[in-house]
Amino acid sequence: MSLGSWADPGAPGAEAVPGIAPGSPAAQAAPGPLPPPDAARPPPGSARSPAVHTLELAKSYRRTVALRGLSMTVARGEVFGFLGPNGAGKTTTVKLLLGLARPTGGEAMVLGAPAGHVESRRRVGYLPELFRFQHWLTAREVLTLHARLLQLPRRDRATADALATVGLAGRADTKVGTFSKGMQQRLGLAVALVGDPELVVLDEPTSALDPVGRHEVRAIVRSLRDRGATVFLNTHLLEEAEQVCDRVTVIDRGKAIATGTLEELLGQRTSVRLRVRGLPDGWWRAHADLGAWSVEGEWLRLAGAPPESVPELVAMVVGRGGRVDAVVPEHQTLEDRFLELLGAR
Amino acid sequence: MSQTLAIVALTVQEALRRKLVAAFMGVSVALVVLSAWGFDRLSHSRSLSSGEVGAAVPQALVLFMFMFSFVVALSASTIASPAISAEIESGVLQSVATRPLHRAQILLGKWLGLGGVLTAYAAAVCALEFVVVDVVSGYTPPDPAGAFGYLLAEGLVLLTVGMLLSTRLSALATGVVAVALFGAAWLAGVVGTLGADFHVPALRQVDSVARYILPTDGLWHGTIYALEPRTIVANAIGHLSPFYASGPPGWAYLVWCGVWVLAALTASLVAFQRREL
Repeated sequence: MSLGSWADPGAPGAEAVPGIAPGSPAAQAAPGPLPPPDAARPPPGSARSPAVHTLELAKSYRRTVALRGLSMTVARGEVFGFLGPNGAGKTTTVKLLLGLARPTGGEAMVLGAPAGHVESRRRVGYLPELFRFQHWLTAREVLTLHARLLQLPRRDRATADALATVGLAGRADTKVGTFSKGMQQRLGLAVALVGDPELVVLDEPTSALDPVGRHEVRAIVRSLRDRGATVFLNTHLLEEAEQVCDRVTVIDRGKAIATGTLEELLGQRTSVRLRVRGLPDGWWRAHADLGAWSVEGEWLRLAGAPPESVPELVAMVVGRGGRVDAVVPEHQTLEDRFLELLGAR
Repeated sequence: MSQTLAIVALTVQEALRRKLVAAFMGVSVALVVLSAWGFDRLSHSRSLSSGEVGAAVPQALVLFMFMFSFVVALSASTIASPAISAEIESGVLQSVATRPLHRAQILLGKWLGLGGVLTAYAAAVCALEFVVVDVVSGYTPPDPAGAFGYLLAEGLVLLTVGMLLSTRLSALATGVVAVALFGAAWLAGVVGTLGADFHVPALRQVDSVARYILPTDGLWHGTIYALEPRTIVANAIGHLSPFYASGPPGWAYLVWCGVWVLAALTASLVAFQRREL
């Protein structure tokens, strides 16, 4: 199988998307134009090429299978969440995309060049999960080193901008060895941002940050999207993904189990919870046409009911002589959906 | 090229900032001062004739330089052993390796940086020792530059061994194995001398083969020859000692040493390329 037909996410071998039917809007939801299946491969680095494209990507470590045929496409300019439980294969995928490890099967393209190619690495910024830097250097010196390795023409400006973005301008000349874990992670983010990369790969970028730091990282991710960069966010913090990602892929046991925008994954999964008095037990059975009813203690849940249906539901209960003590419209959270997907494996 | 130089500069900076150079220099200068006292006592000993002093001082210098060659070998393997493996284990290398440079540039930059540090260190200590011995005892080796060159080459061989092992083994294992190999090569040289002394060809063969497998002892004998007065060589005084050399290494052997280093560096590169980070 060749990446010559890489724009065909629905091709045999493309990822399974449980809960999202092949050919549905959800399955075709990658934002940004993708070339048709028979299109010639764009030249390396062409803006037409997706930021990331993998086809049946596989990785085994002797008898351990870390990745078993991962196919996914990340369009340019989107914030892409790569979600999964511990040991699902997230970091392995990142390492394959950056050339830190070699696949045992399949193919991967990054910014139009084979994964790990020097040309693609020139335009990629990376914050590793294990962020460690030369502790005998100052923050400014670390960034200057990376600016030199990137062969940037205006290193002073680039390093100063990156340090300011992550809030370390005041600690630029402090030795990295004296930094707290959170500050080291901020420095790692600055290293990933230096040189304005087209693709920023963030592997668990807020694992060492306090709530303020997490908020700032989310703001940085949004600003990256605003300037047209692609962000590949590898995280197991679902709330974080829910707040910033345009699209997500959920991976488990080395395989993608769901892909789509958050609306596609969660949008149709609403419900309304009601606490009703004054009506006989089981009154709701006469209204099975409204959705799936269930009893949760003193509460009734009507799964599938959109929030707009609340006034009608309340009117119906009152019309039957009942009283509504409380009504709570609910959206399924990404965490609920995530657990549901993993539970179905 | 500029990226390789960035790695060279980073490596030198690390050696200086982490006080590696300062520590080795401190210990070495202390040993040189101690040797100055020893050479002074030896040169002014009333129990020795001037001829005996003339023979003893060069031998003492060879012994001192043997100790120093051990320090150089230890330094080379110590600075090389964490160069790759420790940075992979700590995660420092991952952010560098994802930049647009080849792994060969990282490896070569580190080798050049560490080689530069080792060269400066060996040059400083050799110069200091030779000046001290000259001032205290009046003895100048016949080929001080050659002595330094062979000693440095020995250090660079150990540095390359350390780099090669570091691409696969942990820093601790690399250091232990490199020093053990150095000791084994020296011991093979001693065994070869015994073979020559007692006319046992098989033992002589051990040295001949070992010198090609790991050329540290062959180069060390170049250092000995560069330090010995030519009268000792002409009269074969001390030819039964492992601290005696009858001649310098030949050109063919020196070329082999160069090929050996290049081959080991290439093997390091292949191993590093294949290593998953």
